[in-house]
Formats: sequence, C-alpha cells, structure tokens
Amino acid sequence: MKFEPIPIRKGRAKPPAYKIMTAKEAVTEFIQDGCYLGMSVSAAPAALIWEIVRQKDRIKNLSLSITSQIGMSSALIGSGLVSKIEMAYNWGGIEGEDKVFRRAVEKGIPRPLEVEDYSNYGCAMRWEAASIGLDFMPVKSQLGSDIIKNNPRIKVIDDPYTGKPVSLVPASNPDVGIMHCSRADEIGNVQCYGMYGNTDLLARASKKVIVSVEEIVTQAEIRRMPNLTVIPYYYVDAIVQAPFGAHWRESNFYYHHDLAFGLDAYRQFATKEGFDAWADKYIHGTKDWDEYCKVVGYDRLNRLRLSEGKYQKFGEVR
Amino acid sequence: MAEYAKDYSLPELMAASVAREINDGELCFIGVGMPLMAATIAKFTHAPNFNMMVEYGAVGPSPRRLPMCVDCAVNNERAYYTGTQREVMGAQQAGFVDAACISGAQIDKYGNLNSTCIGDYQNLKVRLAGSGGANDLSSSANRTIIMMRQDGRNFVNKLDYITSPGYLDGPGAREKAGLLGGGPHVAVTTMGVYRFDNETREMYLEKIHPGVKLEDIKRSIQWDIAVSPNLIETEPPTEEQVMVMRTLDPLKVYLGNGREVLAGDFEAFMKMFEDSYWPMTELMKKKGLL
Repeated sequence: MKFEPIPIRKGRAKPPAYKIMTAKEAVTEFIQDGCYLGMSVSAAPAALIWEIVRQKDRIKNLSLSITSQIGMSSALIGSGLVSKIEMAYNWGGIEGEDKVFRRAVEKGIPRPLEVEDYSNYGCAMRWEAASIGLDFMPVKSQLGSDIIKNNPRIKVIDDPYTGKPVSLVPASNPDVGIMHCSRADEIGNVQCYGMYGNTDLLARASKKVIVSVEEIVTQAEIRRMPNLTVIPYYYVDAIVQAPFGAHWRESNFYYHHDLAFGLDAYRQFATKEGFDAWADKYIHGTKDWDEYCKVVGYDRLNRLRLSEGKYQKFGEVR
Repeated sequence: MAEYAKDYSLPELMAASVAREINDGELCFIGVGMPLMAATIAKFTHAPNFNMMVEYGAVGPSPRRLPMCVDCAVNNERAYYTGTQREVMGAQQAGFVDAACISGAQIDKYGNLNSTCIGDYQNLKVRLAGSGGANDLSSSANRTIIMMRQDGRNFVNKLDYITSPGYLDGPGAREKAGLLGGGPHVAVTTMGVYRFDNETREMYLEKIHPGVKLEDIKRSIQWDIAVSPNLIETEPPTEEQVMVMRTLDPLKVYLGNGREVLAGDFEAFMKMFEDSYWPMTELMKKKGLL
C-alpha cells in the first residue's frame, strides 16, 4: 500500500458560471469542422444556424442529428455544409415540398447528402438513450417497415422478457446541440413556455450545448417557477440572447410563424440560384442576427409579436 | 337533422368524411392541414368531447387561428397540456390514443403507406419527406385514419418503400412483426371512402364521392379493388361544417390554393391569420366549446 488516495473523478456537469456569449463567439468556440450537430425543431435555432452558415469557410462539413426539421435545415443543406442527415422528416410542412433537400439527395447539389431514416419516436428515443447514459433504446415503432430494412443501425431483436419483436435504436450523442428557447439566466438554466418537443432531450444528449433565448432573466426569476426549467444549467455551455431568434418560425407566446416569409423563401429555394441569392441577402449579407432582423424589418417582427400577444399570454386563459 | 351544404369543395367533403370517423370522447392524434379541419368540425358537430393530441407535445388545444405546423404556437391555445413529444408519442405507444390521422404518397391494398421515396430507395427518383410520426402512429395507434390523394398512379400493387405499416402482407402479419396498434381503419381519398375487411384485411370501396364514376375509381387502382355490395354515395358536409371550415381557413390555405396567394404577402397573411379569431370565438361560445 502506498497510501495514495483514489483520485477524484470529475462529473460531466458544466459549472454554474457566467455563460452569456454572442452567436459568433459560441459557434466559433464550440462548432468545429466535422461536427455532429443536433438541432431542435421548435423553437428553431435560426440565429445559430445562420451564424454557422456565415462561418462556412471554417465549418465545411457537418452531419446532422434531428428528429424532424420543418424548413430550417435548408440553410445548412443548401449552403453545402451537410454530408449526412439522421432524421425522421425533413420537409417544408405548410411551406410545402423541400426542394433544397430533394436537390441534395437526388442530384448531389450542392453536395451529396446521405440520409439515415428513422421514425420520429425512433429519433427521439436516440436522444433519450443518450440523455440517460444508455447506448440504445427499444422502440415498438419501425417494425415491419422498410425503415428497418434500409437502416442497418436499427436492430430488431426478440424482447428477452416477452419473446416479442422490438426494434432497438442506437443512442445519438451530438458533439453540439443547438436550440432556441424562451428564457434563461446567465448560468444557463433554461425555461420554455408551451410545447418544446424534444428540446430537453437534445440538451441532455449533446456533449456541448448552445441555447439561444428570447430573454435573459435573473436566477431569482428562474427560481420563481422552477418547473418551467426544462434544461438545468449543468447541461449548458453557452447562452445566446437572440430576440426573434426563431424567425421565420415561431417562439411560443412571443411571436408566431411568419408564413408569408417562409412561403416566399421556399419559392426562392426552388432553384439553386434562388437559394444562393436568398442566402446572400439574408445570411451572408448580414453580419449578425440583429442585422438579419433589420433586413427583415423590426416593424414586421414586432407585428408578429404583437399579434401573438393579442391572443395568447403565458399563464392566462383567453 | 343538420342541413347538407349545397356549395362545397372536394377538400371540404374529405374533411367532413374524416370528421365522421372521430367519435365523441376519443383522444386522437391530429396533424395540421386537413386533419385539423376535420377535428375542428367534429368538435362542432357530433364530438364536442373529443380531444386532440398534437405531435410536438400538446393535448386538448382548441385553436381559433389556423395552426401552420405541428409545432405551431397556435397549438398552445387553451391546451390541457403542453410539453414534450415524448409525452404524446409515449402515450400513443402505450395504447392511449384511439385514432390517428396519417397520409402518404402511395398506398397498397393492405393500407401500407409510402412517404419516403419514389423509385428504389438506394437509387431513388424522388425523395419525399420521410416518416415523421406517421410510422409511429401506424405502428401503435388503436386505429389509423388515412387521408390521401388518389391520382391514378398511387394505388399500387407494390410500394416503392413501406414507411408506415398497414396490414403488411395480410392477416396476422402485424402481430407477427410485433406491432401493437390496430392498423388502418379507413382511407378517405379524393375519389371515395375505403375500409378494410376484418377477415382478409384488404381494402374495399365503401363510399363513392358525388360525381365520381366507379369505372374511374377501378381504373385508378392497380389491383382489382373489392366493392361493397352496399356501395353508397359519400355524405356531403353540413352547412355548419362548411361555414366553420371557411371561418378558420378563409383563404383556403389547407383546403385550396391559399398558400400561393400568401407567399410574400405579409399583410394578407396577417389579416387571414388574425381575422378568424373572434368569429371562431363566437362560434365556439355558441356551441359551449369555450
């Protein structure tokens, strides 16, 4: 015996320290070339996505882990940053057919895109597995379908307890998870109003976590309604304040989807030239999110906020 | 008895047909678009106590503006629960969901659906959206309500890709595969209404939309479709159902070409989106739904 104590093992918890950064700082620090990137659906982290696209000379290749994306992956795929996408759905929703996605998968324009298909719950369970430190999760979806036949990473086994077939999905641990939420304090306690899909799971599954928020509030304010905290500070690496940071999509109780803008963007995305012109104007032509908002017009954005406020207020039934 | 509308469109007829598949008191998984229209008019007519579940994590909302996606801010309106997708997807895997509305680009006689690709998956011609939640719902919901276009090419002998399992290759196949849900119950298309035979699990024609010819239906289906001996004409929507749909979706964003009108026109969009709120509020109050 040498009487040396067993060394302390450090946990994965991020410190309760000041984490406020600009989008540019956070993307520069945490997102490297070759990153395996997870993205929330809604609120969509548009301000962070736009910043990644602005840094495309440095970040040349990404693989994406999503459940579903409704429109917002186009900026990355259309800019040629994505070589692989693990997903359940990537389309325009009400905006319609996703021509950017189709061009990449069908024709390799602007670069070939490999698709790994799952079901929505399958994708969510991949993040769920990672979020609780497991390497896979069983799911009763996907059985009997061609999703399993064409995705060798989904295994079908006989459940050791019942003997019945069950599908297993591998954990997805993104290098970085990006998401947009309602509000946070300076050490990274994040709160959401309304629906938040799988945003909580993504934060728990990802090695590094960047959260953009509508508002930054005090820790005392967070403590006032702690059950709204869907991501505690120990998962979070950076908080970015980005009001309207999900435009053209919605941020619950702040503003609603700007359908006129989304439909117009999709019309332009019909051709590669159209997409490039759109990205030049709204992403490369603006140095940060504030400038993007100025190009869209704060009048317009404030109208969206005012409109949502007319009909819904958090904590009040109308 | 409610009066049938004299003036209605095909999408309105389909929405009303879907609405009739929803029973009072049920918990149903509803997407946006036509299912949302159907859900809304079902609540107004025969199913005031049915609640919808929305895929992104809402239970029991009653939107008075037009939801634009499953994660639309509008789906928080007057909900009993808002939170995670895991809640609603988990509940449906565990058997709590009575019915779910799903769609696809291709269908076969066992109600299997394709929404992933046209052509061979490894060498595809057209890439489509992917499963989204459709595979999950068709796997585990107690029954599914299928809604789709019938365009003469998409009722096929063999799907290019099975995204969402129906009865797979016939009786017993779902159970053998380990699927928990009940499978397809009805398919409402642009031409008619189809059900699935309890013995053979094969699709048969039950109702034919007004003005559609049986021979046209047969020609648009690759296999020899069975026809119910009691084939009837699809019941039109009621005056009230049409009025409610046109109040919530005045520009026919979901039930017509409204999207083309709104692209790039912010003022028109805001007007459409806001104008439905107070009329819908009044209509719902009258019905005791608020």
